[in-house]
Amino acid sequence: MNVKKLKENSVFIISLLLTLIFIAWGAFFTENLTNVTNIIYNASIDYLGWVYIGVTLFLVIFSFYLLFSKYGHIRLGKATDRPDFNTGSWLAMLFGAGMGIGIVYWGVAEPVTHFTTPPYGEAYTIEAANTAMQYTFFHWGLHPWAIYTVIGLALAYFQYNRKFPAAISSVFYPLLGDRIYGPIGKAIDILSVFATVFGIATSLGLGALQVTAGMSAIFDSPDTLTVQLIVIAVATVIYLVSVNSGLEKGIQYLSNSAMIISFAILLLVLIIGPTITIIKLFFNTTGLYLNNFIQMSLRLRPFGEGEWIAAWTLFYWAWWIAWAPFVGMFIARISRGRTVKEFVIGVLIVPTLGTCLWMSIFGGSALEMVVHADNHELAKFITDNVSLAIFTFFEQLPFGSILSILGFALVAIYYITVADTATFVLGMLSEGGTLNPSNKIKMTWGIIQSAVAAVLLLSGGLEVLQTASIAAAFPFAIIMLFICYSLLKGLDKELEVQRRKPRIKDTK
Amino acid sequence: MKLFQVRKGQFVYYQNELHKVYAVKPMFKKSVHLIRLRDLTQVLASAPEIERYQPKETDSFIFNKKIFTLSKDRKAEVGDYILITNPNPDILDHYSLNSIEVVEKVESKGVITNEANGILHNEYLLMVPGSHDYSNPIQYKNMEHWAEQDADSETDALFSDLLPAIGDVYQKNDQNSPLETMVVAVHGTTVYLGNGLQVHQNELMDAEKWLFQYNLADQ
Repeated sequence: MNVKKLKENSVFIISLLLTLIFIAWGAFFTENLTNVTNIIYNASIDYLGWVYIGVTLFLVIFSFYLLFSKYGHIRLGKATDRPDFNTGSWLAMLFGAGMGIGIVYWGVAEPVTHFTTPPYGEAYTIEAANTAMQYTFFHWGLHPWAIYTVIGLALAYFQYNRKFPAAISSVFYPLLGDRIYGPIGKAIDILSVFATVFGIATSLGLGALQVTAGMSAIFDSPDTLTVQLIVIAVATVIYLVSVNSGLEKGIQYLSNSAMIISFAILLLVLIIGPTITIIKLFFNTTGLYLNNFIQMSLRLRPFGEGEWIAAWTLFYWAWWIAWAPFVGMFIARISRGRTVKEFVIGVLIVPTLGTCLWMSIFGGSALEMVVHADNHELAKFITDNVSLAIFTFFEQLPFGSILSILGFALVAIYYITVADTATFVLGMLSEGGTLNPSNKIKMTWGIIQSAVAAVLLLSGGLEVLQTASIAAAFPFAIIMLFICYSLLKGLDKELEVQRRKPRIKDTK
Repeated sequence: MKLFQVRKGQFVYYQNELHKVYAVKPMFKKSVHLIRLRDLTQVLASAPEIERYQPKETDSFIFNKKIFTLSKDRKAEVGDYILITNPNPDILDHYSLNSIEVVEKVESKGVITNEANGILHNEYLLMVPGSHDYSNPIQYKNMEHWAEQDADSETDALFSDLLPAIGDVYQKNDQNSPLETMVVAVHGTTVYLGNGLQVHQNELMDAEKWLFQYNLADQ
C-alpha cells in the first residue's frame, strides 16, 4: 500500500528532494554554490549559448507557422465550447502572468543599462540609445511569447481535446504513448517542476529586491538583505493564509487590480512624460527591431567575448524557458474555447505589442532624461541600483510620490499573485496533473519556492538568480523541441478526426 | 429603507417558482437577471420581487425539464450533475455559487467537471435524477397555490421537448427490417416520416416500437 502511494507521489517526492538538496547546499555551503553556479554560467556562455539561441528562434518561426497553418480553425475544447473569459480580461491575465514583476523591474533599468553598456558601439550616444531600445524590444518581444505560445497551446490541446491530465508529460502522448504514465513521463514532470521552481524563485527574488527598494524609497526603510528576507517571509505567510482560508477569490480581485494599476501608471507616464518622443521611439524601434530581427536572434560572438550576450540574451531566454511550464499551464487554463488562430494572435502578437508599448513608454521617458540632459550620473545611478531604477525614475517625474506608491503597490500585488498562482500550478504539476491539488502540497511548494528565492539571494543576489535559471532551464529547452513535434502530431490527428465526422451542420 | 442582498448564483423564488440569479446589473431597472430552472428561460426581475432560498440535501427541483434530488448519499460518478453549494475555487478555477456542472472525471479528493474545474467533494451536492418519498420539493414556494394552477398544461410544457419534432431521427425497433427515418412534418398529433409513413405521435414515443436517435439540429 505504502509503496503504491510512494509511486503515485513520486513526482512530488523526487522534485521536492532535489529542491531541498539545492536549498541545503545554498544555505550551508553558500560559497560553494556561488562557485559552482559561476562555473555553469561560464560554461553556458561557451557551450550552451547556441542551444538557447537556436531553440528560441525556432519557436518563433514555429508559432508563426501555426498562425497561418491549416490547424488555425481547430478549437481548444469541444466544438461547442466558448471562451470562459472575454478577450480583454483574457489578454490582461496572460500578459500579467507572462511578464508581471519582470516588466516593472526591467522597464526602466534595461534600456538605461544598455545605454551605458551597449552590446556594440559607443556608450552614452544617440546610437547607443537606439540600440538599447532595439535590444529591449528584442528581449521582451516575440521570443518569450513564442515560447509561451507553443507550450500553452500544447498543454491546452492535450488537456481539452484529448482529455489528458494537466501535466507537461501529457503533451508527449504522441511520442511516448502510455509511457507518459511511466518513469519517462514522471522524469519529464520532475524536470518541469524543477524548472518552474527556479523560474518562480527568480521572479520572487527580483520581486523581493524591488519591494525592499520601493520601501526604502518611499518609507526610508533600510535596503538590506535582512529586509529582503523579511519581505519574502511576510509574503509567504500571506499566501499560505490565503491558500488555507478560502481567500483565493480575494487574490483574483488583487490580480485584477494589478492590471488596472499597471494601465493607470502606463497612461500617466505617457501623458506626463515626453509623449511625442515616446510615440516616435515606438515606431522607430519597431522598425529597427523588425529590420534586425534575424541578426539579433542569432547573434553570438564566436571570436570575441560573449559576456554581454550571456548576461542579457541568454539569461532572458533561459528565464523565459524556466517560466514556460508555469505560464503555459496558466495560459492553457484560461484559454479553453479559443481557436488555434485566436490563441496564437492573443498569446504571440498582442502581448508583444503590449510589451513593446510598455518598454517605449518607460524606457523612452527614462532615456529622454539621460540622453537629452546628458545626465550620465543618473544613468550610472540607475545602472548601479537596478532594483531602485523605477523609483528613481518616478522621482524625476511630476507626481513622483504618487507614481512611486502606485508602483510599489503594483510590485507587491504581482509578487503575491504570482506566488499564489505558482503554488497551485506546482501542486498540479507534482500531483500528476490533477485540478484538485491538496492544500498540504500547495503549502509545501509555497514554503519551498520562498526558501529557494531566499537562498539564491543569500548566495549572491541577482547574478546567482540568473545563473541558476540558465542552468535549470537547459533540459527544458530540449523538451520544448519535442513539444513542437508532439503538438504537430496531435493537431494532425485532430484534423483527421474532424474529417471523419459527418458535417451535417455545414450543409444546411 | 429595505436593503436587498442579491448575489450571482443564489436560488430565489420569483412568481412562486424557483429561479437562479445569473447576473446582477445595478444599472438596469430590472436589475436581477434570473434563469428559470425548470426550462432554462431567462427572466428579468427586480430585487423586491424575489425571495432567497438556500438549497440543501434532499431538496428536489426541476432542472431543464428533469426532476433531480440533492443528495450526499453516494459518491459522484461520471456523467452526474452536481450543484456547487459551497464554492471554494482555486485561483485558476472559474465556478461560483450554485453552478450546475457535469462530472467528467472522479478523483480521490474531488471531481473534474465538463467546464474543466476541479471541485472538492465537500463543495457540491449531487443531483440524483428522480424524486423520492423523503425528498422535499422546492420547485414552488407555495405548493397549494401551484396545485390550483392548470397542472395539465404545465406538465405538457414539461414534456413538450420529448414530443416528435421536425428533424428528429427515429429507428424502428424491428430486427427484421432495420429502418431509420426522419420526421419531416407534424400536423396536429399526426407525424409524417421521411419514408412516407404517417403515425400518431404517441406511437412514435413508444420506446418499444421506435427509438429516438438524434435531432439533426443538435449535431
